[in-house]
Amino acid sequence: MRFVLAGTTLAALASAPASAFAVDYLTLEQAAQLMFPDADRFDGGEITLDAAQLQALEAQGVRGRSARWTVRIARHGDATLGVVVADAVIGKFELISYAVGIDGDGAIRQIEILSYRESHGGEIRLPAWRRQFVGKTQAAPLRVGDDIANISGATLSCTHVTDGVRRIVAVVALARRNGSLP
Amino acid sequence: MSGGRAVVRRARPLLGTLVEIGATTIEGAPPRATSAAIDAAFARIFALQQRLSRFVAASDVGRFNAAPAGACIDVGSDARAVLGAAAALRDASDGAFDVTVGSGPRAWRLDARGLHKLADEVEIDLGGIAKGHAVDCAVATLEEHGVAAGWVNAGGDLRAFGDLAVPLELRDEESGGVRRFATIEDGAFATSRCPASHGASRHASVAAPRCLWADALTKVVVASGDASHPLLACFGARGWLHGPPRANG
Repeated sequence: MRFVLAGTTLAALASAPASAFAVDYLTLEQAAQLMFPDADRFDGGEITLDAAQLQALEAQGVRGRSARWTVRIARHGDATLGVVVADAVIGKFELISYAVGIDGDGAIRQIEILSYRESHGGEIRLPAWRRQFVGKTQAAPLRVGDDIANISGATLSCTHVTDGVRRIVAVVALARRNGSLP
Repeated sequence: MSGGRAVVRRARPLLGTLVEIGATTIEGAPPRATSAAIDAAFARIFALQQRLSRFVAASDVGRFNAAPAGACIDVGSDARAVLGAAAALRDASDGAFDVTVGSGPRAWRLDARGLHKLADEVEIDLGGIAKGHAVDCAVATLEEHGVAAGWVNAGGDLRAFGDLAVPLELRDEESGGVRRFATIEDGAFATSRCPASHGASRHASVAAPRCLWADALTKVVVASGDASHPLLACFGARGWLHGPPRANG
């Protein structure tokens, strides 16, 4: 084991400026290909729920949060293999976008994190910061790319991701019932 | 920095947190070989979670917790590895390390026959040690698949392997953001939160050769309040207690 401290003291660590941090793992297309390697094409689409459908979801104990999701439909010839749905959730200091692959029978095939943004301060709640999810980096303090730094801290809970996955499974089931998804 | 070598990074929600795997691309193999190695490492962690999680009724731990006193539970090799380490740490730390979280530190015993439950009320929660073991297992899987260097980070319990110096950032638990703390090469690092009674946002971190020990020893540092607890040296480990920002941690 080789361990080299960055600062000389913990006091120096505490006074160092905090920086934001971001990692892009996969695009939605790359995630879809990983989840459905047998697909010969992916059709783009969207799930849009109206007010009544959102209420139907809420009646099942699933909060709608958003009314629109980006979807890739995995196909092989005439057959539909499944769908991949993209979503994003906000944690205490982090924004996580992820994709859920769902088989034709409604079972979860795979979950992949697409990107991770960890902020300092309250800007995580600001729309401008959240827009960084789509598209590439623009904010100065954000480091993206070759830096492979690892973060340690009190264990990050991913409850909001698991809640989001549950929501997507319900949304896909609803969209299939009303015929807006194959 | 990755030293110019290509690194594939992926992340999935596992073990109740986000697990990130980074792998340098396997030389002389098609790109999908690295991706397949990462898939295999994630699959290893998922299988381990299904065997060790107290939230999974059919897991080794779930069956132990549901069983009456006097039961002997047949457990797999992962539970044996983790519980064996847990028993050693419990005894060496005078009970400061306790996978029963106070429900009966000595009311379980592991032997060749299995895991014995010695009291009705004892329940095991491997949350303080299994993540580290999962990271070690995922590293072994990556190496078996030919990955020469990389890392596995299970929500802050992490291990770097091979000749890759990985910069380590500590999360500011008060206001968010991260601060550069160290670089680690061929070793493990873990952080745990101290209970609120120990003061606002204090954290214990431990660096050790293996992540199981780093993960578990943070609990010893938290419980004892001693970042240089003598047990750390036994495992080639080093500990820190971090105060809130602007305090002299």
